Amino acid sequence: MLKRHQITVLLFSIVMLALFASMPTPVAGGANPGYQIYAIPAFSRQYGTSCSTCHVDFPKLNDFGKAFKDAGFKFPKDDETFIKIPPVMLGSPAQKELWPHTIWPGTIPGLPPIGLRFNTFFQVVGRNRNNFNLQTPGDPTAPFIPRTDFQSGLFSIFMAGNFGDDIAFWVDDDISVGGASAGGLGDGYLKFVNIGRHLKLPTDSLSLRIGQFELDLPFSQARSWNLSGWDIYDQGNVSSVNSILGLPTVSNSFSMSNAAQGVEFSGGHTYRGYHYSLAIVNQNTSGGAAATGNNVPPEVAYTSDSNFKDIYARLSYRFNLERDPASRNEVQAAGASGPRDHTYLNLGTLYFYGRSVQRFQGQDNAGLATVLTAREPFYRVGGDFSFNYHTFNLFGQYLYGRDQNLLPLLPVGFPPPPTGLLRGSPASFSGGFLEADYLPLPWLMTIMRWDAVHSTADLINGIGATPDKDIGSFVSPFRATRNRFTPGVQFLIHANIKASFEYQIRPQQIVYDPTAGTALTGAFRTNSAIAGLEFVY
Amino acid sequence: MKNIVLILAILVGLALASSAGTISGQVSGVAGQSVVYVDTISGKTFPAPAQHPVIDQKGLVFQPHVTAVQVGTTVDFLNSDSVAHNVFWTSIGGNKKLNHNLGTWPKGDRKSFKFDTPGAVPILCNVHPEMSAYLVVVPTPYFATSDQAGNYKIENVPDGSYTVIAWHEGAKNQSKPVSVSSDTKADFTLSK
Repeated sequence: MLKRHQITVLLFSIVMLALFASMPTPVAGGANPGYQIYAIPAFSRQYGTSCSTCHVDFPKLNDFGKAFKDAGFKFPKDDETFIKIPPVMLGSPAQKELWPHTIWPGTIPGLPPIGLRFNTFFQVVGRNRNNFNLQTPGDPTAPFIPRTDFQSGLFSIFMAGNFGDDIAFWVDDDISVGGASAGGLGDGYLKFVNIGRHLKLPTDSLSLRIGQFELDLPFSQARSWNLSGWDIYDQGNVSSVNSILGLPTVSNSFSMSNAAQGVEFSGGHTYRGYHYSLAIVNQNTSGGAAATGNNVPPEVAYTSDSNFKDIYARLSYRFNLERDPASRNEVQAAGASGPRDHTYLNLGTLYFYGRSVQRFQGQDNAGLATVLTAREPFYRVGGDFSFNYHTFNLFGQYLYGRDQNLLPLLPVGFPPPPTGLLRGSPASFSGGFLEADYLPLPWLMTIMRWDAVHSTADLINGIGATPDKDIGSFVSPFRATRNRFTPGVQFLIHANIKASFEYQIRPQQIVYDPTAGTALTGAFRTNSAIAGLEFVY
Repeated sequence: MKNIVLILAILVGLALASSAGTISGQVSGVAGQSVVYVDTISGKTFPAPAQHPVIDQKGLVFQPHVTAVQVGTTVDFLNSDSVAHNVFWTSIGGNKKLNHNLGTWPKGDRKSFKFDTPGAVPILCNVHPEMSAYLVVVPTPYFATSDQAGNYKIENVPDGSYTVIAWHEGAKNQSKPVSVSSDTKADFTLSK
């Protein structure tokens, strides 16, 4: 028998579904869900347990799942009593006594801990979807956006586990990102959990992660359960185009959701008490790999475009609000009808510091060609919170970004290119999101979300922008602040099969004539209705 | 006189030996353990045993998977895992009004419940949905849990005519009349 508040939310969910089904033609579109979701069926196989042991609505983790991850992808206590597929010994534990005259013994999972994930999408866009083609009338090569589309979806493989001695690993790769496109490596790292024990530090106070990984964000974009990601995490910082250079003077494509390459020190827990992380990662202004280094082995593309290494730091504390002190100290709270997540309030902060690089053609005082290198320090700072009560979770993030802006110096009487650089007004943006997730039933999650990004540069840059920019760049925003409301609902058909629905009430946009600068349309919204179906196994 | 006493003793012994028998046989048509028991005997009641059977939660598995107890028995539920577990059931003998949730308790602790209603009880854990066990509450002390091959033997059944029922997880119960005198055979073939 449902309780009153559960009935209310269930009715809300039904209304949302009715809204999707009966919506008058939503305007424009072009949203690409594309966000990756990871739950690890390999762990289900390894421990003979359901996905719901660790996930509330995969891939969203419950408290036990967070503890499992913190422990290096194993049960926090007595792991060997739970594992159903015993690991393969790479050496007897007694060999440790022979070291250094033998290889230190470890283990590998008894079966390859492989998980596979496939999801497919259906999208509905409306009559304004081709508004952006007004900028190029009569152009047969202008992009065609269909009214409805079954999208070919994503297919990825992921592996994670433990090699014994608290050495955890994770590798995921997108085998296909739709059509014939191949994806790429997501996260790939080794994590040495609790290495602080070798330094006699408190338990779990120091771990080391090496490889490629998503930064330790308060809420993982790479492993988000939403069909579309949080906008602020995808926000880069690009200033308006400079008339002398013909390029923006700040062109920092770094976003918080980028994969980072480097090392990360961390400690504490994500399911109780304190948690911190400190990462030293490549500086990458363009967000992609650089050209192949033909003359310096190994002849592979470089991700760094600077000698400088960026720094990311995060600190958070979870205040456990359970009344029962015994329950507070356990991984999960002891509910009257069974274990559940704790009631808690988590507060955190993050800081990222980097130095983006731009190289321009310039000239010296003698008029000889030279390269002007603009090294522009930038930072991102933010605060976050998460409140949880039983199956209700309210959380949010605020982020502020600021990039130093070096402008070209062109002395009077000198023809371009510039001879130097001088400091200008910094480019900045701010924004965040607020989201509420509620599960009235174990297989049903309702979502309500608000995203906002404020960027004056995006507004200026949008005028005369071409319609084929990457999704998420918000072509031609109508205002400097872009607000988006996204109600959604997700159904677990089985513990490993999910149907998701999301309706994006997107920010207002406008289309301008790229040469005259006049408005070709009034303000309109690029709303989108997206349905996703996915399974993991 | 001594001979008369000896003869009487022998006659009593023989009488006692011939008044209790066994019911044995095999439950086929299904795989795994089954429970075979003598149904309610009119006019007879039996005191509940004092011993508490234990159903443990260990390695994310209920152990044992099938347990048979006499009605009125108190069963202890133990948590031997270092993770939080839960024990609940949705019905007893199909009666959903008899659902119950014992909650959560830490490793090493146990909770008890007295089962006063006969019927099968599906034991579940709400945080580990793959975990399950069955507790079969029977009306008489004459019952047995078969081995994995379905072989069972009920001891010390007084001679007489009874209804014997075979139960198996997910299968329809089968009952048959059995007249017990010394060793009696009763096979069952169950289906889902």
